[in-house]
Amino acid sequence: MNRSIDPAKDDDSLRVHDEGAANAARGRFSFNFNGELVTAMDGDTVAAALWASGIRAFRLSPRTGAPRGVFCAMGVCQECVVRVNGRICTSCNTPAEPGMDVRSFVLYDGAGK
Amino acid sequence: MNQQYDCAVVGGGIMGAATAIRLAEGGMRVLLCEAQQLGMGASGVNAGTLSLQIKRVSLMPYALRGHAIWAQAGDEVGFKESGGITLAFTEHEAEILEERMTARINAGAPIEMITGERARELEPHLTDRIVSASYCHADGYANSSLTGAYYRRKLIAAGVEVLELTSVDEIEPTDGGITLRTGDRLHTARRALLATGAWTKEISARLGVPLPIRVRINTVSVTERMPKLAKKVIGHATGLLTLKQSTNGTVLIGGGWQGTGTPEAGRGQVAAETLTSNLRLAQYALPELVDARIVRCWTGFEANSPDFLPMAGRLPGWDNLFVLCCVRGGYTIGPYMGRLMGDYILGREPELPLFDPIRFLENHEQATSPSH
Amino acid sequence: MTQQFDVAVLGAGPAGAEAACVASEIGLSTVIIDEATAAGGQVYRAPAARSSRPDPHHAEGDALRRRLDASQATRRFGDRVWDIARTASGELAGYELSMIGANGLETVRTRSLIVATGATERFYPRPGWTLPGVVGLAAATILLKSSRVLPGSNVVVAGAGPLLSLVAHLIIEAGGRVAAIVDVSSLKEWTALVPRMAARPDLLFRGLAWQLEVARKKIPVYHGFDVTRVLGETGVEGVEIARTGSADETGSHGRTVISADAVCLGYGLTPATEVYRLLGASHVFDPARGGWIPELDTAQRTSVPNLYGAGDGAGLLGAAAAPMTGSLAALSAANDLGKLSASTYSSKATQLRAQLAKASRFGEAMAHVARPRPFLVKGIPDATIVCRCEDITAGEVRAAVEAGAKNINALKFATRCGMGPCGGRMCGEAAASLMECNGIERTCIGQFTARPPLRPISLGTVTGDFQYSDIPLPEPAPA
Repeated sequence: MNRSIDPAKDDDSLRVHDEGAANAARGRFSFNFNGELVTAMDGDTVAAALWASGIRAFRLSPRTGAPRGVFCAMGVCQECVVRVNGRICTSCNTPAEPGMDVRSFVLYDGAGK
Repeated sequence: MNQQYDCAVVGGGIMGAATAIRLAEGGMRVLLCEAQQLGMGASGVNAGTLSLQIKRVSLMPYALRGHAIWAQAGDEVGFKESGGITLAFTEHEAEILEERMTARINAGAPIEMITGERARELEPHLTDRIVSASYCHADGYANSSLTGAYYRRKLIAAGVEVLELTSVDEIEPTDGGITLRTGDRLHTARRALLATGAWTKEISARLGVPLPIRVRINTVSVTERMPKLAKKVIGHATGLLTLKQSTNGTVLIGGGWQGTGTPEAGRGQVAAETLTSNLRLAQYALPELVDARIVRCWTGFEANSPDFLPMAGRLPGWDNLFVLCCVRGGYTIGPYMGRLMGDYILGREPELPLFDPIRFLENHEQATSPSH
Repeated sequence: MTQQFDVAVLGAGPAGAEAACVASEIGLSTVIIDEATAAGGQVYRAPAARSSRPDPHHAEGDALRRRLDASQATRRFGDRVWDIARTASGELAGYELSMIGANGLETVRTRSLIVATGATERFYPRPGWTLPGVVGLAAATILLKSSRVLPGSNVVVAGAGPLLSLVAHLIIEAGGRVAAIVDVSSLKEWTALVPRMAARPDLLFRGLAWQLEVARKKIPVYHGFDVTRVLGETGVEGVEIARTGSADETGSHGRTVISADAVCLGYGLTPATEVYRLLGASHVFDPARGGWIPELDTAQRTSVPNLYGAGDGAGLLGAAAAPMTGSLAALSAANDLGKLSASTYSSKATQLRAQLAKASRFGEAMAHVARPRPFLVKGIPDATIVCRCEDITAGEVRAAVEAGAKNINALKFATRCGMGPCGGRMCGEAAASLMECNGIERTCIGQFTARPPLRPISLGTVTGDFQYSDIPLPEPAPA
């Protein structure tokens, strides 16, 4: 589910490169996702930062254990839910902050009911 | 058009369905009418608690038998014998708990008093602020939302004619029987049973026999799926908390906190203030719930009689119209009450006494009466 | 902390913003609430400050925000309403909105409530639609506009409705690559709408310009085609498409595989009716307006006293028409509260209705391509996930219908479809369409019963700081 990110690597291929150097001017910081460093930019939501880093699977579905991530991007579908510093929330509308501890929300492991 | 049934059952919750099945098994030709779809009233929206610890002492023999019926249904209704723990957080609550559980133990329930430490051994995520507790290995829960589908299968298998999404608009006595009007259709039956839950108050009044029914509006909340927090059904000495985590990981929180609304208006409303208190009690008992997100809160109507014992017998003044409602702890007891009611209507002696509604009319004292 | 208002407006899109401005101009104490951080709704979503490219709706969105800022309406942005209750008794009858804001739990009381919560996307499940890398069309606009992130490096844009061409345009404008556009609507369907679209020559022209852009880039466009499956194991690798209405599943006639690493998929819009349902308003099913809509009179009143509907959430009429319905709702509320003379109301309302008729022509055309198409789920394999939250399959839904579930709430009870954290918003349309394909009429299928909270809310937010003694333990019913 995770892809190791080298914080030194400038892997922003999915970020839109606006003219006027808008992205270049944005501050960068990093936060933790499941123990690995993820690079983010000022103004990113947690989901956007993960998406831009190539991480699109944030959790597993409850019965089939299939990888899931952002779907509606507006806080409705609940597919992008993660734990941010312990708090369960939708990552698509949670602003990313330096040093955040973001974890996949591990669900009850009862017999897939 | 005009069909002669041996019995028409009005209401497709557990009470009506269980009775209808018993009647059909006893050889009667049965019609069951349900205004919505089966099992979507109290039968389908309650928290699913099957706890002997919270049942009324006088109904314990009934509860034990009802419990056994659900246990047999097993996976079909998501039955789990998880065990149950009831908690006391103050000395006063500990006294109440001791008193209540002693009475139930004497009535035959396999309950034992335990310490707070023992409670936490059984359920590690519980708060450490427990003064005293009780434990019943036989307590458990089932998934009440499966009630409708479950009974639909059983009704069809028993040969009951089921009309869902069919409201009974009028009930009238006719020669040797009863006529029921559903829309523009008429059905005749030798007898009929009102198993209409909270709606019985209005219906009985329209029939000229206003039963003294009080309707409670019980609140239930459910969280999203959570990591494992509780294995057993958790309760409170006052009965004002039921807390359980299903196998799917969702945590159901109930306890009878009151919302607002009336059966006539269709649905009840959750009241923010009582919801908050309910959730606080739950969080106090299981502190890690603080992070859990509530996904849905709802209310269900529970009909109660003045003495909190069932109404099960003939509608006073009628020979062939029966009523079955106001069974407190109805989810647990319902399947068994249906059998008793069915036997009574079939003319057999029910295994345990029923509860004649006539006691609520003047000059009638006893709660239970022998059949007929 | 509880504040009291004459009018509360829920939703700060084009309808809500206008309603709030008009209400406050009349002199009603007004509050406008939106969970976003700025007004604009979806269509006029405030673009990321860092974007240097003009957003197609730039001008309208900015004008909306300026007008609202200049009004006397109290603005509550970033606040999430999780419950709304009707408060009883005479003069003070109205509504109480429970919200979570930056300062925790708050309550707002209002005499009248105008709901302008807009429309949501309609999704029809396909095998593989739950793979990471598949997002809705509206989601794509958010990723592109707000986050300035591409859905992928080679994106299929598929489904139905006006968002298809917008998303394709935004991807191109962002320097991304569109692998293909797959549109359920045939060219014939689009051509037939041109007369109505001509009511807005500017938008028609813009649509044509976008089509030219697509042609210049040699992006394949498939009209009258639909995605039959999304391919990939742990993420999107491509899509398989086929002509819509190709009933024969056995052959591979007309099926094409397109490589991609992301899919933007959506099938139109449907009004978001949760609040109306929560408050018990009556609804009608009108496919031309997007599906289930609250029953409104000509004054935008719902069947519930002092509850009004405006914008696409009350029936798809398009962004241009939205401010007029918002305005009408505000005028009606003022009139009903006795704050506007009947004659003033009458003349303004007549004027607005005339404008509305004209302004909705384009919107009606868009509503047509965004309409429900239930047959699109008819052939989905049983193993297809319908309820994403609970992993409920089409097969389980079909089996429950076979077993006797005749409306969507009975289906919910029997399968758990709709019981997950999204509250049935992602699966409702699909589940209902499956039931429709099984022969049950939409009016019988109904809608999921709406319950609080309107969005998941953490227990701790509700319980706050408390002592055990704060819990009022009333005398419970006898043992």
